Amino acid sequence: MLEIHGLCASVEGTEILRGIDLEVKAGEVHAIMGPNGSGKSTLANVLAGREEYLVDAGTVQYNGIDLLELSADERACEGIFLAFQYPVSIPGISNAYFLRSALNAIRRYRDESEIDAVDFLELVRSRMDLVGMDEKLLHRAVNDGFSGGEKKRNEILQMAVLDPNLAILDETDSGLDIDALRIVAEGVNKLRKKERAIIVVTHYQRLLDYIVPDHVHVLSEGKIVRSGDKSLALELEKEGYSWIQADDARAGNNA
Amino acid sequence: MDPGGRRQGRKQRLGGDVVAETWSKQVQTGSLNFDDQGVDLKRRRGRALEQFEQHGFPGRKHEEWRYTPLSRLAAGPCAPLLERSQEIAFCPDLPVDMLAKVVIVNGEFRADLSDLSRLPSAIRVQSLAQLRHSDPDQLASLLDLYWTQDSHPFYDLSDALLDDGVHIEVVEEGAKIDAPIHILHVLDGQARSGSAHVTGLIQLAAGAQLQLIEEIRSAGEVLGNLRWGIGLDPRSILKRVRAFRPECSSIFHGTRVIQQQDSRFEDLFCSSGAELIRNELHVSHEGTGCHCDLMGAYAGCGKDHLDHHTTIDHKVEDCTSNEIYRGVLSGQARGVFSGMIHVHQDAQRTDAKQSNDTILLSEGAEADTRPRLEIYADDVKCTHGATIGELDEDAIFYLRSRGVSPDEARKILVRAFTSEVFHGLEDRQLSDFIADEIQQSINPDGTNHE
Repeated sequence: MLEIHGLCASVEGTEILRGIDLEVKAGEVHAIMGPNGSGKSTLANVLAGREEYLVDAGTVQYNGIDLLELSADERACEGIFLAFQYPVSIPGISNAYFLRSALNAIRRYRDESEIDAVDFLELVRSRMDLVGMDEKLLHRAVNDGFSGGEKKRNEILQMAVLDPNLAILDETDSGLDIDALRIVAEGVNKLRKKERAIIVVTHYQRLLDYIVPDHVHVLSEGKIVRSGDKSLALELEKEGYSWIQADDARAGNNA
Repeated sequence: MDPGGRRQGRKQRLGGDVVAETWSKQVQTGSLNFDDQGVDLKRRRGRALEQFEQHGFPGRKHEEWRYTPLSRLAAGPCAPLLERSQEIAFCPDLPVDMLAKVVIVNGEFRADLSDLSRLPSAIRVQSLAQLRHSDPDQLASLLDLYWTQDSHPFYDLSDALLDDGVHIEVVEEGAKIDAPIHILHVLDGQARSGSAHVTGLIQLAAGAQLQLIEEIRSAGEVLGNLRWGIGLDPRSILKRVRAFRPECSSIFHGTRVIQQQDSRFEDLFCSSGAELIRNELHVSHEGTGCHCDLMGAYAGCGKDHLDHHTTIDHKVEDCTSNEIYRGVLSGQARGVFSGMIHVHQDAQRTDAKQSNDTILLSEGAEADTRPRLEIYADDVKCTHGATIGELDEDAIFYLRSRGVSPDEARKILVRAFTSEVFHGLEDRQLSDFIADEIQQSINPDGTNHE
């Protein structure tokens, strides 16, 4: 589904990604881990099409199309979804209005008819159950005055409604207590399916207790320095990131 | 009006004032004959005409008018009055259940197009022309109540060319009129450009409640000069929504409100695009415990000019006011907000809030904002503020990451920004309608009306 080769990206002249290679197939869950500043969030944002991030080199193929040629909204319409680390609040429009606008934009892109208010409500209600969200939140302004847990749950609700092929969860666990974390993770697990790939970007291993990945990659200084299965995450949890960086430095010296 | 400006008024009038000449000639030669019965009314008309002849439309050096470009009006395309008794082709309905409909076409109250059949006996609605003929003295004293005879170009014109409009009275104390009355102004200058001058008077008895929705629709090059005098007796409540989309016309819309004890005035002004619109609002709190909400949302593009001048006179103690005006400007549109809160010496424990926020969507757009507080009492709570900014790029990206195109994302954010103003509107359909109108009038690339 997704093939990344030699991806280099920078923001405001600072090089952050230094040659990423990654292949993600439908049905898989990949975890991207790494210390702060290693480029995890940059990778997530580059894939989602954030314009402040400049792609300097490399290719990204998504279902056979050149992803880098598409704008952020086109990528979303093609089925890519980014769950934000810091969801943006938009006072003045309701969550329901926001979601319906998004869903209809995607439907128009796919030459499908727009969904009417009644059908939309029915759809959203069924998805809200997945993430255990109170219907009241639907009529509140987007993320405005939401708690950290409510914001993250709202991201997963959007994912459930927009039904993407590739979901990228950027530090979805940050700022969550253990109960909220479990609810959000359960929501994500319910959304796992064989047609869908999920990339989980996280600093901590604890989210991966709930969302069990098929593959784990460790990012350091803009490169994937280790890949493995879920046991790699456990190793990291035990040892911390320092050994990776030390290893890395040694490798660098040897080269 | 500031005295300095008035003193210099004559010097600063706009040159070649075709309008004043045309009208005074017409009145003098009798081709414009209003057939006044009352002495006071006649005197008022004569004096207003004189004042307008003398001062004309004020130029840019006039403090109160420095941001309002009236030169096009003074050049005269709107000098003749719009023709009466035209068939009107457009009369779209708002998506709201109305109790009654008042239709005013080119300044004339049209009984044939209005629908007053469902009005309860607690409320009386008649045309101003009717009142002018049946009781000119009452009309003159009502006019005196709201409009002093200080020189003001548009109020002078309204007096000089006073003809028709509407007179609405809730006569029964405590009468609660649930459904709104729809007031629709149609300004049709398609055949020939011109102007219309409308005076509306509203009086609410003690404890009465009324809702109004006022709309302006126009076509062709027109000047709409509309004014309202509103009297609120103790404990009465008036809720007014103004939904204007006058497009290529020039509109002056002036309101003077006199509030008695514990009365409430809730005003929502929404305009989406006009070549020139000047919204003047003056609220006077004459009795204790009054409250007013002055809310405004406006969107301009192309070369629109949207001008808002509000004054709240807190004259007595324990009154409150809340004013929020929000504008979105694209293209080379210009928005002006000048808001005065005047807390008089006796107005202790006044609580007044005022804010004006503007979003500029293009480099050519411009906002001038002047929030002003004058406080002469010592125990008051007053806040005011103004911001001018751009749309939040993070919010745009958030919407785009969900599949929404950049243009639509901006429109949604404009809707979010302005609709906060009409949050309090109970009628969901009406608030959605207004939000849609404003959203549709924004052209994200900032060039022209769609």
